[in-house]
Amino acid sequence: MKRMAERLLYPIRRSEQWVEYLLFHQRAWVLSVFLLVTLVLGWQAIQIRPDASFIKMIPTSHPYVENYLTYQQDLSGLGNSVRVAVATTEEDIFNAEFQDVLRLVTDELFFIPGVDRAALQSIWTPNVRWTEVTEEGFVGGPVIPPDFDGSEATLDQLRINVLRSGQVGRLVANDFRSAVIEVPLLDFDPETGERLDYQAFSQRLEERVRDQFSDDQVSIHITGFAKIVGDLIDGARQVALFFALAIVITMVLLYLYSRSIQGTLIPLVCSLIAVIWQLGLLNALGYGIDPYSMLVPFLVFAIAVSHGVQIINAIRLESLHDPDKWHAARSAFRLLYIPGLTALVSDGIGFFTLMVIDIRVIQELAVAASLGVAVIILTNLLLLPLLMSYVGVGEKAIEHAKAQADQGGEHWRVLTWFATKKGAATALTVAVLLAFGGVYAAQGLQIGDLDRGAPELRADSRYNLDNDFITSNYSTSSDVFVVMAVTEPDQCSSSATLSAVERFQYAMQAVEGVQSSVSLADLSKRITSGLNEGNPKWRAISRNQFVINASLAFVPGGLMNADCSLLPVILFLDDHKAETLIRVSQAVETFADRYNSDQLQYLLAAGNSGFEAATNQVIARAQYEMLAWVYGVVSLLCLLTFRSVKTVLCIILPLALTSLLCQALMAMMGIGVKVATLPVIALGVGIGVDYGIYIYSRLSNYLSQGLKLTDAYFETLKTTGKPVAFTGLTLAIGVVLWVFSPIKFQADMGILLTFMFLWNMLGALILLPALTAFLKPHPELTSSPELFENDR
Amino acid sequence: MLKTLVKRLSLVCIAAMTPAIFAAQPDRLDQPAPLSSAAHSVLLTDVVRAGERLVAVGDFGVVLFSDDEGVEWQQASVPVTTLLTSVFFTSPQTGWVTGHDGVLLYSDNAGEEWTLFFDGNEINRLKVEYFESRIASLTDEETVEDPFLEEDLVFALEDAEFAQEEGPVNPLLKVWFKNEHTGYLLGAYGLALMTDDAGQNWSFISSDLPNPDQFHLNAITALENSLIIAGEAGLLMRSDDQGDSWYELPSPYGGSFFDVIAHQHALFALGLRGHLFMSEDGGFDWQEIPVDTTVSFMGAFSDGETIAIAGLGGTLLTGGEPNQLTLQPLGTRHHFNAVVSTSSGWVLAGEQGVFRTVEQGVSQ
Repeated sequence: MKRMAERLLYPIRRSEQWVEYLLFHQRAWVLSVFLLVTLVLGWQAIQIRPDASFIKMIPTSHPYVENYLTYQQDLSGLGNSVRVAVATTEEDIFNAEFQDVLRLVTDELFFIPGVDRAALQSIWTPNVRWTEVTEEGFVGGPVIPPDFDGSEATLDQLRINVLRSGQVGRLVANDFRSAVIEVPLLDFDPETGERLDYQAFSQRLEERVRDQFSDDQVSIHITGFAKIVGDLIDGARQVALFFALAIVITMVLLYLYSRSIQGTLIPLVCSLIAVIWQLGLLNALGYGIDPYSMLVPFLVFAIAVSHGVQIINAIRLESLHDPDKWHAARSAFRLLYIPGLTALVSDGIGFFTLMVIDIRVIQELAVAASLGVAVIILTNLLLLPLLMSYVGVGEKAIEHAKAQADQGGEHWRVLTWFATKKGAATALTVAVLLAFGGVYAAQGLQIGDLDRGAPELRADSRYNLDNDFITSNYSTSSDVFVVMAVTEPDQCSSSATLSAVERFQYAMQAVEGVQSSVSLADLSKRITSGLNEGNPKWRAISRNQFVINASLAFVPGGLMNADCSLLPVILFLDDHKAETLIRVSQAVETFADRYNSDQLQYLLAAGNSGFEAATNQVIARAQYEMLAWVYGVVSLLCLLTFRSVKTVLCIILPLALTSLLCQALMAMMGIGVKVATLPVIALGVGIGVDYGIYIYSRLSNYLSQGLKLTDAYFETLKTTGKPVAFTGLTLAIGVVLWVFSPIKFQADMGILLTFMFLWNMLGALILLPALTAFLKPHPELTSSPELFENDR
Repeated sequence: MLKTLVKRLSLVCIAAMTPAIFAAQPDRLDQPAPLSSAAHSVLLTDVVRAGERLVAVGDFGVVLFSDDEGVEWQQASVPVTTLLTSVFFTSPQTGWVTGHDGVLLYSDNAGEEWTLFFDGNEINRLKVEYFESRIASLTDEETVEDPFLEEDLVFALEDAEFAQEEGPVNPLLKVWFKNEHTGYLLGAYGLALMTDDAGQNWSFISSDLPNPDQFHLNAITALENSLIIAGEAGLLMRSDDQGDSWYELPSPYGGSFFDVIAHQHALFALGLRGHLFMSEDGGFDWQEIPVDTTVSFMGAFSDGETIAIAGLGGTLLTGGEPNQLTLQPLGTRHHFNAVVSTSSGWVLAGEQGVFRTVEQGVSQ
């Protein structure tokens, strides 16, 4: 164990010597390299583009998504469309002014780039028709009367046409006070071949439709994936404001802490350089910044500042002994290089364990965060002491430090109670009780999103209000689960296939949570009935293939693919709660397992609910896998560093309690485990372990000098207590402002990370000494780990 | 020991890896209707009374019955999953149901369990048999009277043989019994069958009907001693000799009739696009009853005092006198196919299962 640890840590220890030499003897060279890199990466960082793609938010190697990707081309009409509802405050939509607006909105949408113009549908497009069964058979025509001029007579005709078009509940609201324009989108521009720019599209919708046409009488409501993405990107922009705020608050705190202008500005600048490098590297590596990885610059900044604080603190204390700037900076570097490196490496590895989750946004977040932490090693462990070696902390700061040192930090004495037998027993009892309470409360923890509408956004966001408007006035659910029924080519419309599929749909309709379903089979049945004078007794799949073929002449696109080997079965669900999705996907899988044959296979799944079901499955599995990895890795690092299982327990158990309480908090606040919240625990543990490492390394130092536990802990607090508390605070400030984000999941992440950062700090300050008193790991530490031989 | 264990385990693994031989979904004629919570919201095509009980039939082989005037419904056991089209009880215990694929179901326990009496394959066989025996028994007199008769019959036999190869393609649309013994089955493309022995044997009678264009036959009723059949394209036919011979009635309308019913010595024919006609002379002279709707009427019911007519788009028309029929506002746009009276109102068979009206207001 010991040998292995030494071998593993050898390069780090060796590196310290030559890094120190390089840094402090070639200052100008190193500085110019840093400057150059910053300029290059800064130039890269400016170019970073907001980026949100549907495919990145879903687990692409989950069988559901693999199936979808196989048939993506054939399903295109199903996924990506926007619905624009134009509503009136008048009694109904049958008046000339409203129809005029509706026509203009339809025209406007027609010309927005990215719209699949041929498939655009509203009662003003010629592809929306009414049909009626008459004595002579089917008759029909466009819903808007050809001679429409806004007169009473043509408005009446329009009303009749709308009623017999079957569009009530689809293109016209059930209460006749709004009408929808269905806007299918093209993922790629057919002329330029470029990807659809969701943000530009969303902006055009706002400017050219909502802003232009909204007034006292008319309101516009827009839903659809493109709009969600647009809103997410817009919301993410507001987050830049939080970043500025976080910088200002951190600056004030830094000054209060260090009483030094240099000691405030230099950590801040170095931390900002870390952010610039991180963003620049991301862009250089071809990544964009999406609403999920938006969190990372905040984290990088906060982590960088917290390490900066440790170094400034060390330099201050060093300056008490040796006021020479160069010497103080150099000893501070020597003192903190290795613990800082260990802490940052464990942060980085903790973040990197997120790679086990097979969802691209999380993996990109892992890459971005690990990259950011790696960058901090350079900017804050190297550049910061280098800069400080030029400017120093200043007289005032040194005096302040001296005054504090003389004062003796008596207020820390309170915390040493937890290192006494009685205090430890109390703290541990409370912790055990909390753990039990946490286990109990965490049972209510749900997988997936629990709210209606677009859970990415707040319930009262305009998007979700629009979504409520459309779901309450129209008959279609926004939770869509698509099963792909796959046949041999040309067999998708055979009598046998359709008869099987209609019975599959019937079986699914009995599943709780399935509202209704639609497939080619329904259409064939309805049209067969229509061809027989509209008699519902004929609403069946005919055994006569000629009848079916005749019926399919009337089928709109999207319900079968070009070579007729696929027919999507669309299940409309009540909601997208995890239990509903599990119930539905299990029902489909059971049916498929029983009946899939060479002729006909039911493949899961597409549609927003299908993807969410897949995502939930991946997350439910990954949740524990990720915990195992992150705790495994962090424990191993602690074990390598301290070489004592009991020590590892002293550091890890408080973190575990925080993780557990975080789950309980999520359950109580109704926050589900989802793409956005899953990384939180890994981030929390990865960063939380820093406190433990810093505190325990000091503590073991004092213990090995023969101090009693309470005294050793008091000494520890006097030297590192303040930076640890400050670290907790800066980290929390970095993320707490997220609570005000217009994006729901960012707010959730903000709440949970703040909670984890603060609780981890408390855990380290209270539980760590209590556990040390209880487990007594120190007799094993016959010699303190030389790694942390860092006392003055 | 270990070896065998490994062997066994690997066999298990192989078994788990090789795809199982899947059984495809059975044909709907071979699949019993699943007992399902969704059975209560399928398309229902007909509802009748069987003594105290109400029985409704519909899509996916669903038969529902209610013993409390339509409040609670239970699903009956049915051996097929086809769309069922009509139901008739000759006694509170004995009932018949028709459906697609030429399905005829029989129950002798008040509609709780149904057995498949025959399907379209049997109808196709009866049809072939009919033409074969008809050709065999052709007399000289007949050929003299109509020199093309034999040729026509041979063509018809070929058609019937072709249909036999095609399978049970065509639906039965109506079952109706004049009394315990005599009953009729009507279906698509002029299909008609008749029994005289309470359904034990059925004979093919399409050729006896004056329906050269083979229009769909939708409804049949009795008025005093006559029988009247109504069908597609305004087809109306009458028999005055217990169904031995039929003649065409003058039709007031060229669109389809979906039901025909006798009510207080008058005949009512109803059909496409709000067309409702009444005849007080047994079907020779018809007057149109103006109704303020253009949706199709699908099914009628009479208890002697009141007539009720159900139609598409949530239509229910009721009244005592023909000129006093009023549209009942039911607050739904779902289609209705049949209606029956209960002690407290009406029960309708419709697109979304059973719809029940009570004295005040409406409940699903």
